[in-house]
Amino acid sequence: MEERIYDLIFICRPDTPEADIDKIVAALEHAVADKQAKIEKTEKWGRKRMAYRVHKLREGYYVYMTIRTNHGELVKELERRLKVSDPVIKYLTVRLDEELKRQAKLKQHRERRAARRPRKAPATTGGEQAVAQS
Amino acid sequence: MAEENSNQQQAPAPAAGPGTPRPGGGGPGGRPGGPGGPKRGRRNYVRRKKVCRFCVDKVDFIDYKKADVLGQFIQERGKILPRRMTGTCARHQRWLTVAIKRAQNIALLPFGAEI
Repeated sequence: MEERIYDLIFICRPDTPEADIDKIVAALEHAVADKQAKIEKTEKWGRKRMAYRVHKLREGYYVYMTIRTNHGELVKELERRLKVSDPVIKYLTVRLDEELKRQAKLKQHRERRAARRPRKAPATTGGEQAVAQS
Repeated sequence: MAEENSNQQQAPAPAAGPGTPRPGGGGPGGRPGGPGGPKRGRRNYVRRKKVCRFCVDKVDFIDYKKADVLGQFIQERGKILPRRMTGTCARHQRWLTVAIKRAQNIALLPFGAEI
């Protein structure tokens, strides 16, 4: 099975103590390890002002994780845990492997194209066209 | 009664009437403002020579986590700016929309104006 890459962001209430946040992260890591998946990255962005009120709060504690797995059901499990935990007020999981594959392909195309034909001098795009039109 | 004839002879629509096709609209008009007048909250007017920022930088992935970049493509009310305002190309506008909506969902960008 192919490996999937997920971005997981969740927001906790701003007044949660660090210990509780670490507990949540540990619980997620546990769930991840149970399914032989890997957590690539965990970032704590800390307190940030949110663009709109969530549960009547203006600020939230953001945590960002990158997860690699072969099991798709892992996401459901993680989201279930986040939904159940009280300090977490919002979460979002994004699947990124197809995106990254496309990115790599585009990059490859571009590099191949650049190597194949002699590169023209990068003109200031539309410079002359603008004068002609105005 | 004699006036009717002269009126009918003047019947063919003048040049600027509704019958003639009008230029502008979705094409490369390059004129600022819409028929409703200038909208508020605009930073850049419509410019014909404006290029797609992402094409110039050769961006392959528009990251939904970068609220500062994405924030330039929305109004203060949270609405996404149209392509003719920002000069983005079609492909990047599609990616941009996806990224903006993700960022809005995770409260990095607003959905609407805060009261």
